[in-house]
Amino acid sequence: MSQVQQTEPAIEVLVPLEGAPEKVEGRTPWQLFWTRFKRDKIAVGAAVVVLILITLAFTAPAFSKFIVHRGPNDLNQDFTSDISVPLLGPSKVAWFGVDSLGRDIFIRTLYGARTSLLIAIMATGISLVIGIALGLIAGFRGGKLDTFISRLIDIVLSLPLLLLAIGLGAACGASVTGCLGGLVKPGIPLVTGIIALFGWPYVARIVRGQTLSLREREFVEAARATGYGNLHIMFREILPNMVASIIVVATLLIPQNILFEAALSFLAVGVPAGTPSWGGMLADATNGALYRIAWWMLFFPGMFLVVTTLAFNLLGDGLRDALDPRAGR
Amino acid sequence: MKSVIGRKRLAAAALGVTFALVAVACSSSSTGASSSGSGAPTTGGTIREEAPEFGWTDAFDPTGEYLGTAWGMMDQLLIRGLMTYKHVDAAQGGDTPVPDIATGPPTVSADQLTYDFTLKDNVMWAPPLSRAVTADDVLYAFQRINDKKLVAQYGNYYCGVIKGMDCAAKDDNQPISGITVTDATHISFNLEQPTGDLLYRLSMPAAKPVPVEVRGCFPNPGDYGVDVISSGPYMIMGQDKLNLSSCSTIKPISGYNVDKGMTLVRNPNWQAATDDNRKAYADGIQIKINSNVDDSFNALENGDLDVVQGTPPVAVLQDFETNPDFQGWLHADQGDRTWYVTMNLLAPPFDDVHVRNAVNLALDKAGIRKAYGGDKRGELATSVEPPTVLPQSQDINPFAANTGSGSQTDAMDEMKQSRYDTNHNGICDDGGACDNILFLGRSTDPWPNMNQVAVASLKPILPGLDLKEVDTSTGYTTLQQVKKLVPISMVPGWGKDYASPYGFDFFIFDSAGIACTAAVNYSLVGMTEAQATECGVKPEYDAYVKNWGPMPSVDDKMKECVAKPADQVDACFAELDTYLMTTAVPWAPWLWATQFTSTNLNTVTSYAFDQNAGIISYVNTSVNNGLTPQNVA
Repeated sequence: MSQVQQTEPAIEVLVPLEGAPEKVEGRTPWQLFWTRFKRDKIAVGAAVVVLILITLAFTAPAFSKFIVHRGPNDLNQDFTSDISVPLLGPSKVAWFGVDSLGRDIFIRTLYGARTSLLIAIMATGISLVIGIALGLIAGFRGGKLDTFISRLIDIVLSLPLLLLAIGLGAACGASVTGCLGGLVKPGIPLVTGIIALFGWPYVARIVRGQTLSLREREFVEAARATGYGNLHIMFREILPNMVASIIVVATLLIPQNILFEAALSFLAVGVPAGTPSWGGMLADATNGALYRIAWWMLFFPGMFLVVTTLAFNLLGDGLRDALDPRAGR
Repeated sequence: MKSVIGRKRLAAAALGVTFALVAVACSSSSTGASSSGSGAPTTGGTIREEAPEFGWTDAFDPTGEYLGTAWGMMDQLLIRGLMTYKHVDAAQGGDTPVPDIATGPPTVSADQLTYDFTLKDNVMWAPPLSRAVTADDVLYAFQRINDKKLVAQYGNYYCGVIKGMDCAAKDDNQPISGITVTDATHISFNLEQPTGDLLYRLSMPAAKPVPVEVRGCFPNPGDYGVDVISSGPYMIMGQDKLNLSSCSTIKPISGYNVDKGMTLVRNPNWQAATDDNRKAYADGIQIKINSNVDDSFNALENGDLDVVQGTPPVAVLQDFETNPDFQGWLHADQGDRTWYVTMNLLAPPFDDVHVRNAVNLALDKAGIRKAYGGDKRGELATSVEPPTVLPQSQDINPFAANTGSGSQTDAMDEMKQSRYDTNHNGICDDGGACDNILFLGRSTDPWPNMNQVAVASLKPILPGLDLKEVDTSTGYTTLQQVKKLVPISMVPGWGKDYASPYGFDFFIFDSAGIACTAAVNYSLVGMTEAQATECGVKPEYDAYVKNWGPMPSVDDKMKECVAKPADQVDACFAELDTYLMTTAVPWAPWLWATQFTSTNLNTVTSYAFDQNAGIISYVNTSVNNGLTPQNVA
């Protein structure tokens, strides 16, 4: 005979607590987000690192003027040997050491952060504007327009990113007059434009997918029934409902763009000479195999690059968890 | 929870990357090779070399090729001519032409217009030709120069100089009235005017014999480069397999591929007794193409190569300077080359000589040299020609106030005299001319550092300088287009064509060097009104003439100098160069550069430098590696 065991009930019965009646407080989405986010210590730590980096980048001129008393391009060949080997490593005189022209690597690293963050954030902004607009239109309108935009996204995503970017950077940055008859000139705007050119499809694809889903929701039907036009529905009804996703995409796009900029500058098709950048500094370290002698030329810009991209990635993860806890990973 | 663990792993991975960066940065690839030093020359073995590229200008065809390295390889190893050099350094007479297949110096007529040469009758072409080099072969070389289609890149040294040569012949079979072949061993040249440096010109590769058997077989520029027939101590591996029975049977020689390399083996028909200028110690020479310079120098340090030419990476340079194991591995030989900052006379504010003078006074030549690799890179230049080409150069120093690091005070005093310094405070401040002045520089290592030093030293007087860096090729092609009117640039350097002052100065300062899209006279010294019109810079030319008078020119002086007897040529060019540095001031010269050659002293038993070519003297360098040549092509 089989024995039947007594088991606990499968459903926990909630018994009201004794005492004063419970006051139920509603929480705003922001409060919900913040509660979740601050519980994630790694994400909070990453946010702090990002804030410190942004602060350092903004205050680089102040560091230069009031603390180290050297500019990012101030040469001091007294700190180098007869064959331009840096003689001064990390020290009280130069916290991160000097490079082969005697330039202060600490202050150049800070200015490099300005360059990297400026380009990455600007390129991300442009990517968002283009991506959101095209993604919304494609998802909302559907039909041939959706097909066209979707295929355009596919085409851009299938292009060999780095190779094309190097080609564009070389074509427009390697000549004195730029390209397109002098319309596009070498400099930060060119690098930003190149990076943005390849960033928008990621945004557009996500926005399109979200729009396809949201446009079938009741609140959209309600807005339509109320008599609102397409533009209002797209930008005032649908778009606000995907802000969380867009924030997460943006946060993850920034480190990608930082790395992209560094790669282009490392390959000498990024920011022009005289503009400190982490990629350029890494290239300086590898030129002539200098890193074999002056490890600090490679280490500090490399470390900042790693820490920055890591911090943005972790922050993005944390934001995603906090903004949309149901999203799978 | 899972996601947090994932991020922790990510953080750990990032830390790992950071540590890896430290590890890479701290590691050293220095090797423990030991040097045995150099000793007496040894015979045999193979000289193994790597180069990032050949870089030919005309595919190694001697008629048109204009690259010094190619000249050196042809002259030393492959093609013997009426005249050659000793293939040694300047101190041993390496810049002086000497007879090669000629039995001795030519007989020169009293009016200096006729040069008669007698040829040795036992200088042989390599197999499969295996016959004596004749006067007809010499004549054929000049017929190739004269062939318009073959585009002899320095044809101006012969056309208009030798009677009947105009570099406009329809093919390579047209007679030249000024060259007479009496028999197989006698040839004479009749000139339009006395030409004191003719022997230098006859030493150049284009003037060296080409076997008449290939006449008509290579009608396009550069084509002959893959089939250069040897009369020198070496031949390209596989030449003996050539079928010269007709043009259609001639295939490229197997031992040469421009993208892979070149292997040279001994020419069995070469006789040392006929050649006083080539020792030819090694059994072969292998030059392999490897674009990774670091890799090549690692191979040298590891003993897998014998020679690498060019600038070593700084870390390797440091090894050579500080590691006793590499003592003596680096050779710095005078390269007969000047590095300079060129200023365009038609581009304000450099149309004003005070601005050009100020640049000469402010330029931190010592700092640029330091960024270039230090004192061994050469002597700080004070005038246009290196002293090895024109000894008087060392006495031409109108900007002596700049002792090397630049004199800002003197530069500002000079700038105050310029019309572009409107408030006379020593700073160029006339908006239209002084803002956004393009300073064109090279983008390849180590030039970006050098550009930074140069611009930093000029900014106090020219705060509007705008540095743009481009690759070397783009830099040259930009400068070569007259209409671009690049105001100031540190891209170019200039080396001699041959070791006469004329061979240095001619193309770079004569108006003949101004072609609208291929100028080498970047400063436009001596530009004529017709050239300005043709090149589309007439308004700028007119503005210059209106503001400053006639364009400074050395054309007449150049003609005067070249017609001087040989013993007066240097003095005449010293006057010309003084004029250039004090009146025209088209350049701020900063270095009389050396040529770096690195040799593995464990295998290289004797090293020699070819002053004329500015490269290693393969024929006077020996190795003891005991290797037989392998085809690297």
